Amino acid sequence: MDKIIYAVTGNNCSQEELNSLVKGISGISGSSLYALSFKNISITVSDFSSSKFVVDKEMAIDFARIIEQLSQKLTLLPVRFGTFLKSDEDILKLLTDHYDSFYNNLIKVWDKDEFGLKVIWDYAKGSEKIKEESEKEVVKSDTYFSKNTVHTNYLLEKIKKHKLEDALLRHVEKLIEEISGFLAEINPECKFKKMVSNSLILDGVFLIEKDKKDEFIQAIGALKQQHNDLHLLLTGPWPPYSFVEIDQSF
Amino acid sequence: MSENKILLNSVPIEEFKESIESIENAAASRINATPENADHGLAQLVLTLIELIRKLVEKQAIRRVEGGSLSDEEIERLGETLMKLETKMEELKQIFNLSDEDLNINLGPLGSLM
Amino acid sequence: MQENVIDQSKDITILEILDRVLNKGVVITGDIVISVANIDLVYLGLKLILTSVETMQQRHLSVVKPNHPQK
Repeated sequence: MDKIIYAVTGNNCSQEELNSLVKGISGISGSSLYALSFKNISITVSDFSSSKFVVDKEMAIDFARIIEQLSQKLTLLPVRFGTFLKSDEDILKLLTDHYDSFYNNLIKVWDKDEFGLKVIWDYAKGSEKIKEESEKEVVKSDTYFSKNTVHTNYLLEKIKKHKLEDALLRHVEKLIEEISGFLAEINPECKFKKMVSNSLILDGVFLIEKDKKDEFIQAIGALKQQHNDLHLLLTGPWPPYSFVEIDQSF
Repeated sequence: MSENKILLNSVPIEEFKESIESIENAAASRINATPENADHGLAQLVLTLIELIRKLVEKQAIRRVEGGSLSDEEIERLGETLMKLETKMEELKQIFNLSDEDLNINLGPLGSLM
Repeated sequence: MQENVIDQSKDITILEILDRVLNKGVVITGDIVISVANIDLVYLGLKLILTSVETMQQRHLSVVKPNHPQK
């Protein structure tokens, strides 16, 4: 029987407590959860035939539910949805071979929650000023090309396009600096994706100590006050999905 | 989910719908894959990678042009090549019925690279 | 109007959840993992991408059956 794995957990409790915790949570499609342990870390597993497995929304959400329930009592590293191993032996080998990586990562996320911040703007309005600025830097053909051909005109358009893209990126980088300023006291680990699309200009995730949650939310509120031109979406707390970094030599 | 995960939301409905299309596409591309549409998924994957490389090459090329160290001939050849690549890409997108959004799927651990 | 806001909140939450479980978390690859047909075709590094593509093509050939009913 195949095994689907849910999370790598750090055990601050006895094996008995872990087992009863895990038994109290139902796995995907009604399967039973159990935990395989090595020293003070475990992997949560359930038996599930990979041929019965379908990547559908309901199952993915159910998977998240289980991660969420586990994270109420345990520090954990969520595993990507749909990860199947062949046997308990393989799972234990995974645990023992990568104990150090898992352990260090668990320490990193201990007592911390993930929060997500998406920044969205109206591209036409928001980029107007930046476009103007970037076009002030008049891009003339003879600056770059001594001839005037179909191809140099094509390149000229590309140059203009790239200047605008660079200007937009710099704008987002300034915003990131500003966010870091608001969070200076908390100084969390964070990751950002810039210009995900023309409207989703920033997608950030933050690893915040549990007791700093309110401070963090307040800081983001203060950020919002400074920017009536931007729409913010702040979500959390989440288990640390975005902060798991494992040496990928499986 | 037992608790509400949204702590702050000042995004008007329309804007939000547009900007999360990329996430929906990423989820859909993994959720809807079947043996029947595996070819389409494969085309999407391959073209996404090619488009990524094309965009990186374009960026590099433009930097060199801006740098001013290229001869007229080199510039002409570069412009012609980039133009042809872009035209070819548009053709491939048409053939496989893929939009720009389709080619910006989240590449898992690599993140959405564009 | 109130309903729209509630629906939107649900949708937003679902999308945030899906983004996390599908695209994030510990990625385990290699021999010990059973590839599931419609999961990630992309892993770290081009080498892994090519391996996945091969596996997928093989799987495609073995899954197509003669009298496969159309959906």
